[in-house]
Amino acid sequence: MRIKEGFTLRSIVGQYVVIGEGISQVNFNKMITLNDSAAYLWQSVEGKEFSVEDLTRLLTDKYEVSDEKAAADAAALAGKWIEAGIVEE
Amino acid sequence: MLLKRTYKVAGHVFSLSLEGEDRAWEALGNYDPFVIDETEELFSLEVVPEFDIQGKKELYVSEPEPGEQRIDIHTIEGGYLFEMAPLPDLPVCGWLKVSSDFSKGWLKTASNKVFCVNNALMLMYAFRTAGLDTLEIHASCTVCQGKGFLFLGKSGTGKSTHSRLWLKNIDGAWLLNDDNPVIRVVDGIPRVYGTPWSGKTPCYINDDYPVGAVVRINRAPHDQIHRMSLVEGFASLYSSSSGLRALKPIADGLFDTVSSVVQKVPCYLLDCLPDDEAAIVCSKEVLGNA
Repeated sequence: MRIKEGFTLRSIVGQYVVIGEGISQVNFNKMITLNDSAAYLWQSVEGKEFSVEDLTRLLTDKYEVSDEKAAADAAALAGKWIEAGIVEE
Repeated sequence: MLLKRTYKVAGHVFSLSLEGEDRAWEALGNYDPFVIDETEELFSLEVVPEFDIQGKKELYVSEPEPGEQRIDIHTIEGGYLFEMAPLPDLPVCGWLKVSSDFSKGWLKTASNKVFCVNNALMLMYAFRTAGLDTLEIHASCTVCQGKGFLFLGKSGTGKSTHSRLWLKNIDGAWLLNDDNPVIRVVDGIPRVYGTPWSGKTPCYINDDYPVGAVVRINRAPHDQIHRMSLVEGFASLYSSSSGLRALKPIADGLFDTVSSVVQKVPCYLLDCLPDDEAAIVCSKEVLGNA
């Protein structure tokens, strides 16, 4: 999967949000808030093709978390991003 | 002969050039309160009979919305071309060619010249000033107790109606602008300015006030107001600010200015009916916190 074109991660006084800014997202009126670990994952995979396994590895690399927990979190987050329309499979 | 007039809106200077004998000048009285005698301008618009364009490529074609004007955007060599029509099913009647930094514009029209001039100046203003702590907001703005209160909402939700209800029910409230006021952050303080662009209401006031609150209007079966979080306030104001977000400098400018405004000004969501009670509920909350 990959992040759809035209979405930008920004920070409003410490709160990360994804905003649709590209021409292809001109009618996207939603804003998605991300917590710090989701923002770290977003920054790590921006502009790249990635899988749930990639997200899992990024989580276990940076945080003290079990493989099982990281895999579950990564899958849940990827599902959420796809559902929100900011990531395509 | 071309006649050039210079205007200042929210401290930004721009000029309009049009044939001196053109009858359109008479219908552009909305700019009269903003005339000044300065030569240093941020951008200029010239109405011309014809211009050349090269390398036209589609950048953005708007989704037609019933009753709304339509603006399509193309990239061309050295800048952009905007094509405008007053309604989605009417033919294009105005072509605005602008330099890539939005400092120079040329407009040709087939009909509706006044509509085209107003639109062209609003577009150039929003795009040219986006990096200058300035936001052109789709809102109605009422002044009360020395502060400006902006009412936002999608077309048809009752922004203007809510301003009317303040004027009728709240002592000392008056209308600054009914469609497109400008917010500018000056010395860290967000201020709201009247402009020559006020929708269907002829209200062209050259004056400015500190922003008291930003209120999003939402039609509901009851009258209730609640304060938004910082991020909700950001989303509310950002979605009502004009600008071509596909251009990074503009997106960056809008982001910075909206962030700065919502950190200093309370933002609310007002669920309301178009009734007197709505203005009373709203004013009670926002005047107390402004």
